[in-house]
Amino acid sequence: MTRPAPEPAAVALPQVASVLVPPTRRTADRPALWWAGAVTLALLVLFALLGPLIWREPIAQDLSRFLQAPTPAEPLGHDHLGRSVIARLAHATRLSLVLAILCVTVAMIAGTLTGILAAWRGRWVDTLLHGLSETLVAIPALLIVLIASAAGGGGLTMLFVGIALVQWIEYFRVVRARSGVLLAGPGVEAARLLGLGPVHVLRRHLWPELRPVLLTMASFGIGTAVLTLSTLGFVGVGVSPPTPELGLMITEAFPFYSEAPWMSLAPVLVLAATLLGLLGIRGTEARS
Amino acid sequence: MLRLLRRRALQAVGVTLVVSTACFVMIRTLPGDLAFRIAAGRYGYDQVDAASAEGVRAELGLDRPAWQQLLEWWAGLARLDLGTSLVTRASIADELGHALGASLHLAAVALAMGCLVGVTLGAAAAHRPGGALDKLTTLAVVGSRALPPFILGLLLILVFAVHLGVLPAAGHGQASNVALPAAALAIGLAGLFARITRDTVVQVRATEYVQFARTKGLNGRLVLTRHVLRNSGVTVVSYVGVQALILIEGVIVIESLFGWPGLGHALVHAVFWRDVPMIQATAVALALLVVVINTAVDVSTAAMDPRPRVKEVTP
Amino acid sequence: MASTPTLRTARAIVALTAVVALTACTTTSDTRDGTAAVTGGTLSVVGPVEVHSLEPATSSELFTRLQVSETLVATDADGALRAGLATGWHADDDTTWRFELRPTAVFHDGEPVTADAVVAALQIAYDKEGSPLTGAPVAEIGVDGDDIVVRLDEPFASLPAVLAHTSTQVLAPSSYDEDGAVTEVIGSGPYAISAVHPPQRIEVTASEHWDGTAPAITDVTYQAVSRAESRALMAESGQSDVTLGMDPVSLQRLQDVDGVQIHSVTLPRTIQMKVNGEHPALGDPLVRQALSAALDRQGMATALLRDPEMAATQLFPPSLADWHQDDLTALEHDADEARRLLAEAGWEEGPDGILVRDGERFEITLRTFPDRPELPILATAIQAAFADVGIDLSVSISNSSEIPAGHQDGTLDVGLYARNYALVPDPAVTLLGDFAPEGSDWGAMGWNDEDLTAALEAMAEGLDDAQAADARAQVAQIMQDELPVIPVAWYRQSAVVNERVAGMTLDPLERSWWLSELTWSS
Repeated sequence: MTRPAPEPAAVALPQVASVLVPPTRRTADRPALWWAGAVTLALLVLFALLGPLIWREPIAQDLSRFLQAPTPAEPLGHDHLGRSVIARLAHATRLSLVLAILCVTVAMIAGTLTGILAAWRGRWVDTLLHGLSETLVAIPALLIVLIASAAGGGGLTMLFVGIALVQWIEYFRVVRARSGVLLAGPGVEAARLLGLGPVHVLRRHLWPELRPVLLTMASFGIGTAVLTLSTLGFVGVGVSPPTPELGLMITEAFPFYSEAPWMSLAPVLVLAATLLGLLGIRGTEARS
Repeated sequence: MLRLLRRRALQAVGVTLVVSTACFVMIRTLPGDLAFRIAAGRYGYDQVDAASAEGVRAELGLDRPAWQQLLEWWAGLARLDLGTSLVTRASIADELGHALGASLHLAAVALAMGCLVGVTLGAAAAHRPGGALDKLTTLAVVGSRALPPFILGLLLILVFAVHLGVLPAAGHGQASNVALPAAALAIGLAGLFARITRDTVVQVRATEYVQFARTKGLNGRLVLTRHVLRNSGVTVVSYVGVQALILIEGVIVIESLFGWPGLGHALVHAVFWRDVPMIQATAVALALLVVVINTAVDVSTAAMDPRPRVKEVTP
Repeated sequence: MASTPTLRTARAIVALTAVVALTACTTTSDTRDGTAAVTGGTLSVVGPVEVHSLEPATSSELFTRLQVSETLVATDADGALRAGLATGWHADDDTTWRFELRPTAVFHDGEPVTADAVVAALQIAYDKEGSPLTGAPVAEIGVDGDDIVVRLDEPFASLPAVLAHTSTQVLAPSSYDEDGAVTEVIGSGPYAISAVHPPQRIEVTASEHWDGTAPAITDVTYQAVSRAESRALMAESGQSDVTLGMDPVSLQRLQDVDGVQIHSVTLPRTIQMKVNGEHPALGDPLVRQALSAALDRQGMATALLRDPEMAATQLFPPSLADWHQDDLTALEHDADEARRLLAEAGWEEGPDGILVRDGERFEITLRTFPDRPELPILATAIQAAFADVGIDLSVSISNSSEIPAGHQDGTLDVGLYARNYALVPDPAVTLLGDFAPEGSDWGAMGWNDEDLTAALEAMAEGLDDAQAADARAQVAQIMQDELPVIPVAWYRQSAVVNERVAGMTLDPLERSWWLSELTWSS
């Protein structure tokens, strides 16, 4: 039988369609892209882990050295407050990555569990969770994050809660849709007839099918979370200074693009490299 | 189809109730004195003080129990009256109309530009998968997705406004103002559309029924329009829906950079000032838009691909 | 082969794209011509302030700045009072003031500006929130022949200055609805409104009813763009003719740009820290002096405001020539002196480098707001400077109203903000309110000084010139010694003006942009 091109899930759930496009082919350029992405990400993680140990002072100021150009000791120079740009960048990379991974992990676990639960139990559990997700989807994501950051007053916790709250819905919807199809399929039926328990079904039937989609979504989600944080910084409602955060650094450095390009470019490059790395990996994951 | 529309209408009513109440509760639980925030919005930072805050409190009756104020909002909503802004005292329907209009305008132009460029590139790339054009498109797509939108916006301003002087840098009100913000949004979109179009076209062309159509002797153009485009269209349309939503609610950065008075701008101000009814109205408008666009996607998908499909995942 | 038709379709798509692109280009060149035409006729003014209201008290002074509406009293480039709608004024006795109206003045709806109309407008302003008129000891505003007569409860020398405040602008009777709400701005100035598009645009055109010299530039568009960088790009690309509210960083860049000129004026605005005098640590004058000495004002002004001259040496900037005292000992940066003062006040270094007294860590919170972009950056610098002398300062960047709210409920430790001492052209009016014995939202908190109160009250009642100068010197001296508010920096306002336009002067009181005096250069 021919499977029609768009899967039912992709039509019913336009929100998440971007990750549901089925694999089409494998060509030689994919692994190269994957490797490029992986190496970039590895370097970034290394920088985030080791950088803060080498450059320890992200908030120490020296007003007399404002906008000083790069030197061998300070490879990225000083910012408008005379702070070491490389030290700030290292700490910011760590913060952004940690926060993004945390958001995505929490959102993924919550979304997957509730998704499977809804698909498995059906009836009122499904109705309730589905209703909740439909409502949350209808509230603009921007508003949720804005309110969360207003409640947190520049703190990190509420920002994290806000972003996770926006993201879990996506996982819920995909997992619920996919699990529904899988649970109704012949494989699971056979397993049930054989008297195999839910753990078996989960491990043998659901997980192998869900894993690639979830991984793809997660890599995409990390990029989104990093971008959301930087976006909030740009409109002045994100992390409060002097905490080094990529978006905040980009925003702070933005006006200096002609006067001190090294300071403006550095955080943009890190952000772009993160997104590129994730895209590279995602490009292959989605097709494997 | 009718069932679908009825369900969507019901959903719209439910969403309106839940969303506006949720907003009300969330805003009222935020830290900070409402009257002071509103006074700061009205009088500005030079003039806001305890006296003006008390004036605001008395005028708006902010001391009344919250449930009374919520009931008032309900009553107004039932009469389709959104009330007036607590800060500007202007009609919310008017203010929202302006913001929504600006947002839709920007989103529509950006979508049109993105679709046109993206679908063209994607279709061209799909022509020879793995070819030079395909590779180039992939590279461009990844590149455009990795640039944060405000950097892209800045680059566009520097090139087209400052260097070439052919387009206005920022602002709103003249026809040409939309060009740069829309382009900044469209570049990212075009990448996405190119990729989806390419993948879908390649995939649909490989399916058995297209192969069959060819063998049964339909000419290439008929195959393309009747089978490939129609089936690819289903996927692309649902994408356009998602992207339209993201564009309408999520372009705050571009609005901020280009001084575009859209919904993002309105929302940021309303939250900063705690303009409760304005936030409620904006949220409801956006929520309804989500429902409308989802419905439109469903309807057009059904029109293009009339095969019945599983709607509910659980029996 | 199947590829041929696909190829054909692809070609068709490419052709279509080309057509669209061409159309886009045509539109572009149209607008380009349009822009050129516009620069000939319409002056494009861009500023940060958005249009949210037509009400005089809440319209951010936009309509007086655009010279749509007038106040009874106006000011000149030195900040001195001069004739506005009133050609002259004098005190009949201690508590009665008389203002003579300009007889030729006409509202934009063609009605003459009568004393009755003026009194009606002032009465509406008096009844609303947010006008300094409400705070003045006014008993009655009435008409006597062609004059406006204001009767006071007590002598108040600054009445003419209060009547220069934008909230007292005189609008035509047809501007108001029956509740006194403004539905349309109909003023008597050189420009009349042709369109208002909140929150971003106001269009004005020269009024045919204006009784003075007709403006050389007849059409003006004001556009609000809130990001300073975006405004700078508009100025740089020549999109805007007059760009207001420039940030220090963009100014550095624009100095080297051809075709634009930078105009600057020092404002009577001081960036200062309000300190809670009832706070157990901050109530001590020694501690306030230590906080002041810990600040590297020169460094902050140079690095952050890009203008070393703006480092405050006292509360009043040199632009307030009457109030600035050349012989005051300047506030200076001396971290060692700060540490010594803190030790003298009983604070000792704790295990983590933060000062401790009686088991209490020196932890305070500074509140500020992002409306003026330099404030958060200065707050960050202040945080580092305080950390250097052992004070743990956390910065809370929120809404401007958090400072008055914190004043009212006593939770404010330190607030950083820019205070305009010429809200009313006479600083004495603002000072009298800000440093009233019971404190004030934007002034003293838990601090008062009898000599200061006496000096300010005497000024309000009216002193001769020599006495007033002495009183001002006394006020400045007390502020310097006691530091109820700690000055950080003064303020310079800059505008970028395209060379197409000539004759720009900046108003130190920000009451007007004087666009009617501009001319096209070519």
